[in-house]
Amino acid sequence: METADLTHHISRRFNEDLEKVRNQVLQMGGFVEQQLHKAITALVEGDSRLGESVATEDYKVNGMELSIDEECSRILALRAPAAGDLRVIVAIIKTITDLERIGDEGEKIGYIASRLATMERPADKYREVKHLGRQVAQMVHDALDAFARMDSQAAVKTAQEDKMVDEEYESIQRQCITFMMEDPRTIRRALEIMWIVRALERIGDHAKNICEYVIYMVHGKDIRHTSLADVAKQIDAAHALLRR
Amino acid sequence: MWTFALARLAGILLLGLVLGLLIGPIWLWVLAAACLYLGWQLVTLYRLDRWLRLRSQMDPPDLGGVWGDIVAQVVRLHRRKQFHKQRLVQLFRELRRSTAALPDGVIILSTQREIVWFNRQAARLLGLKRPVDVGLRIDNLIRVPEFVHYLHGDDFAMPLVIRPPVQLDLYLALQVVPYGGGQSLLLVRDVTRQMRLEAMRKDFVANASHELRTPLTVISGYLDTLADDSAIDPAWSGPIKDMRAQAQRMNAIIADLLVLSRLESTDGEAVRDAIDVPSMLERLHRDALASADRPRHVVLELDSADGLYGSAHELESAFTNLLVNGLKYTLPEGTVRMRWWTDAEGAYFSVIDSGIGIPAEHIPRLTERFYRVDAGRSRGQGGSGLGLAIVKHALQRHGAWLEVQSTEGKGSTFTCHFPRQRICEQTVRRAASA
Repeated sequence: METADLTHHISRRFNEDLEKVRNQVLQMGGFVEQQLHKAITALVEGDSRLGESVATEDYKVNGMELSIDEECSRILALRAPAAGDLRVIVAIIKTITDLERIGDEGEKIGYIASRLATMERPADKYREVKHLGRQVAQMVHDALDAFARMDSQAAVKTAQEDKMVDEEYESIQRQCITFMMEDPRTIRRALEIMWIVRALERIGDHAKNICEYVIYMVHGKDIRHTSLADVAKQIDAAHALLRR
Repeated sequence: MWTFALARLAGILLLGLVLGLLIGPIWLWVLAAACLYLGWQLVTLYRLDRWLRLRSQMDPPDLGGVWGDIVAQVVRLHRRKQFHKQRLVQLFRELRRSTAALPDGVIILSTQREIVWFNRQAARLLGLKRPVDVGLRIDNLIRVPEFVHYLHGDDFAMPLVIRPPVQLDLYLALQVVPYGGGQSLLLVRDVTRQMRLEAMRKDFVANASHELRTPLTVISGYLDTLADDSAIDPAWSGPIKDMRAQAQRMNAIIADLLVLSRLESTDGEAVRDAIDVPSMLERLHRDALASADRPRHVVLELDSADGLYGSAHELESAFTNLLVNGLKYTLPEGTVRMRWWTDAEGAYFSVIDSGIGIPAEHIPRLTERFYRVDAGRSRGQGGSGLGLAIVKHALQRHGAWLEVQSTEGKGSTFTCHFPRQRICEQTVRRAASA
């Protein structure tokens, strides 16, 4: 029903502007998602060319961020939006910053993957990293879906997954340390893997941020630095109220 | 019916008139009679109105006369409408059930590319949710950049194959089918199996060619030694020569198969290195002149100093294949001309021979693998039968296409058409080398 709010406007142009910028954000999100997938594939399959192409295409994400940012400033200056519309714009401005960072982390992964492709591959073929990568990519996907659907319940659920990503990150880190202690020759590779895993963990955090902006956009509540369990309870209550 | 109603009105008025004549003033009695009639009509009207309002809970009133007729009329109309409505609903339900049972996903999109309706299969394949996703723009949910580009373009002739971000092991073919009023249908098909089979086929060809190479090297090695061995009965020298020639041909076929499978397995467009086409062609020309049994005239016409953006390796193998074909099918006294030129639309490379030509019915199939125009001829000339297939694939990766013109007995012209955006202007090189 919140999406319907976007269409109740005196000025039709304003509506179109808002809708357009929202579409742009999701388009940017789609590109970032693809970059992330490519980066992970490059690592897992040892495809150095794919990894390089991810690293060289990051400039497109930056360009998208700039143009959306400009569009938002224009809307703020021309239309002086209030209430829900203002929240949408604020959430968009914040979301694209996080998307751009995800793009940067993806670039980093792609770059390291292209370097790792020339080294000997471990016996497990980066199974754990692949798993973590998929998990994180799914989180980004779900966060963007929640953004598109203005679905705060899905946003909370996705934000909660960040905890699992953090745990996975820690376990891979421990594994890497074990490898390094067992065989010092693997230190170089293990260090690179640590960078990648760290980048993935950061992407998870950014996805969580996007979820928080979705909740802010829908309910007007800033839930940063509060416990997610409380937020989930409040949002479920709000939904129950609406349904009644 | 209506005459009866009129007669009744007349009767009542007449009664009023008679009563008025008998007792009291006439007009008063007539007026009273008219009022009585009007009042009765109003009561009936009220009953009719009440019934129309509460039709579902009440039986039709028994009004009689004209009013009863009207009530019967309304009841009939209502029944007929109900019947049609039920039929439509039934039809609609059946339609929905059948589309839901389709093995492919179907999504109806509005002019704004918003989701109007989708079936269960589409929801499963693309992760759509009912009912929240109805009214959302499809490219907000399927954000794969290629798809967004495809959706906003206007070329829907071919389906687009994507890997949905949620289930990476799937391949989905998406096709937009526009229909009346700017709406469109988005068909979603799971093509994972086909893609896997295709990949397996490519892998198989590449692996098989690789595996054949090693034993063949051993065979040709021994044949070379045997050919030089003077201790062998001279009667064997003929067969050994034949065997060597055939081994060489097999080698050529395997090499071409490997080139072809490499061209196929690299996806998308070719790289965009700047390539100096004129000097590449000059080199090919020199090689052609150096070869032993060539037609008398081999001419190179360079009408442009421009080059191309593309892969040097792939372009060279395409050009070489065309040139070699031209040389092979031209008689010793004939001419083979190579021509390179550009115009406002793009760049062109032609090989024009005065050879034996190709019958028109074979031209569309020339680029098929191992296609023979004339079973006796092409094998006699050697060659792998893959040359033009390689040309086609290499050109495709550069956004280019091959045009074949031929007159039987007079000669053929093979022209590669390159699009404008692949041209790399290169006036500098000419100046430098001059």
